[in-house]
Amino acid sequence: MINIQDIRDTARDLLAKGEVRAVIGWRAGSRGMPAEPVVITAPEQADELVWDPTCYHNLALHLVEDRKFLAHARKTAGAPIGIIAKGCDARAIVVLMQENYFKREDVYIIGVSCEGSGMIAEWKVARQLDGAVPTAAAFAGDEFAFATAAGEKRLPAREVMADRCLECRNPFPKEHNVALGEDKTGRALEAPFAALARFETRSEGERWEFWQRQFDRCIRCFACRSVCPMCYCEECVVDSINIAVAPETTAEEKANRIRWIERSAVKSENITYHMTRAIHLAGRCVDCGECERVCPVNIPLRLLNNKMEREARERFGYEPGASIGGPSLVASFRDDDPGAFIR
Amino acid sequence: MSMEKILDKARLNDWIAALAKGGDWEVHAPALEDGVWTYKPVGDAVRMDHPNTKQPPKGFSFPQREVFFSFEQIKGEAPRLTQVMPDPKRRAVFGVRPCDGRGAVRMDRVFADNVNDPYYQARRKNVAYVGLACNTPPAATCFCKSVGGSPVSTDGLDILLTDLGDRYHVAAVTETGKAMMAVAGSPLADAAAADRKQVKQVHGEAVAQPQRAVNNPEAAPAKLKASFNSPLWEELARACIGCGICTFLCPTCHCFDLNDEMTGTVPIKGNRVRTWDNCQFPDFTMHSSGHNPRENTAARLRQRVCHKFQYFHENFGMLQCTGCGRCVSECPVGIDIVAVVNKVAEHVA
Repeated sequence: MINIQDIRDTARDLLAKGEVRAVIGWRAGSRGMPAEPVVITAPEQADELVWDPTCYHNLALHLVEDRKFLAHARKTAGAPIGIIAKGCDARAIVVLMQENYFKREDVYIIGVSCEGSGMIAEWKVARQLDGAVPTAAAFAGDEFAFATAAGEKRLPAREVMADRCLECRNPFPKEHNVALGEDKTGRALEAPFAALARFETRSEGERWEFWQRQFDRCIRCFACRSVCPMCYCEECVVDSINIAVAPETTAEEKANRIRWIERSAVKSENITYHMTRAIHLAGRCVDCGECERVCPVNIPLRLLNNKMEREARERFGYEPGASIGGPSLVASFRDDDPGAFIR
Repeated sequence: MSMEKILDKARLNDWIAALAKGGDWEVHAPALEDGVWTYKPVGDAVRMDHPNTKQPPKGFSFPQREVFFSFEQIKGEAPRLTQVMPDPKRRAVFGVRPCDGRGAVRMDRVFADNVNDPYYQARRKNVAYVGLACNTPPAATCFCKSVGGSPVSTDGLDILLTDLGDRYHVAAVTETGKAMMAVAGSPLADAAAADRKQVKQVHGEAVAQPQRAVNNPEAAPAKLKASFNSPLWEELARACIGCGICTFLCPTCHCFDLNDEMTGTVPIKGNRVRTWDNCQFPDFTMHSSGHNPRENTAARLRQRVCHKFQYFHENFGMLQCTGCGRCVSECPVGIDIVAVVNKVAEHVA
């Protein structure tokens, strides 16, 4: 099991030696639980860092934010930025590097293994704690320990882990500069794509009806897009301003810009939004499951991305986030790629 | 003289049926759908054991999308506009928590008191809020008391229900509420002295429940004003991902966008549509020149917090935030408006 002191010592040491200019990690939230992402820049802040089953955020997103911040401020990075990365976070970083979003030497990866465990799904915890409000969560072997007003409550990890973690095959961050915790790659508490397989037992008609209802419920808060490290485009197809405006752009051109997706959160527009996002994530989604976690109306978005991921795996033997130098799914071609659909 | 009644819980559905039949009300109540508490038209059974709904009831008067008018132009002819007014159906919304009732008061300030928004007003005058007092321990994210509210507040409600175990205490707040209680076929009975006593006790206990608090909220507007150029905002917004959860789920956020949605080209046809907009989106303040005066998450977080605790106060003499806690519990990265206001206040001399 990872000792939090090792994480803090590593971060402190890197900052003290000037090997990194900042470390992206987690600290305790304002209500104790859940943890929240933090960027620390001084060695003495290292003691703020925490590691617990609520560190579910994919911190690779904050690497993207950092790069955007530097680009807008026209600053150069200088020393690399440090990041504490779970298996899924590290896979996301690999994809970003594969896409040349940043270079390997720009990032110092402090890998943390989820080992035989993973992150909680808060709704599962709430269901099991029966009204008790947890103020802290900790790893405890096969269990999670929750501090509540009524004392410590322990729950079997399997019962309250997020689906994405139950299906995770790579809880160990393969790409790292330093790694903490045991490598338990290959362990999956549930079969890979289990939730998808369960869903696919429904008929095509039932599935279409299901998705129509789900997309009708979407409020287009764009949290799924905002939380996704792969959604780093400066201009998004759904935004109201998605034309490059120059001084010579006329009012008419602005007024007549193509609106691929209307502002209205209605089914047809919502479907277009979610389909566009799913397609843009094909071969890139590492199944960190953040989109599904943050959705305020509980749309099971992993099903969409998992579907694309499984297609890529089955048809092309492709696994996103496996290798920085390897070819990417949509930018590569092999003679033996299945091509029956090309006429 | 206020009107107080008692309703046997087993007869709640009878009252709702009477409202639908005798009063021509379309009744909505919270239902658990896909793990999310959502207001739904009432079916067979109403349960009101919800903590709070994921979305506030503001959509009843200010829907996420509404058509203002449709337009059509046949070539060579003058364009024709047809105003589209809301369905005048009367809607009774059950189970509204006091924080959301107070949210309605604030929405009214914006759309009904200050300006005359005919679409908002047409909906609002046909909506009645039947509140439900919070007499169970508050959620970890509740903070209504420190922003001037109360778990038993009647502000913005037409009726307040209080759960007394096997029955509800039903108190009229407005004339509309009284009419709803007196609807033909109503199973409401007169409240006895013992009921009144019990309600008083339940309310007292509810108000005494500890909550997190915005420290010294009276000073917040001035403190925030003084913080405008503080570098603290960058630190506070460091984790912000720029999604729209906090404002779309807020009972008092009311910013909107107007667009023409085309439905045909020959002849030109379409609708002028109002949709919710969101100050946390990068394009919210984007000028057509490409310049964006609120260019980062720090400026946008500051806008949201200052609107709730400073600007609205300057404009209407009340805090806009009602302490429902949705923006706190639903934020993907744990940004906590209570902690933000307190931290800013601490840092400003």
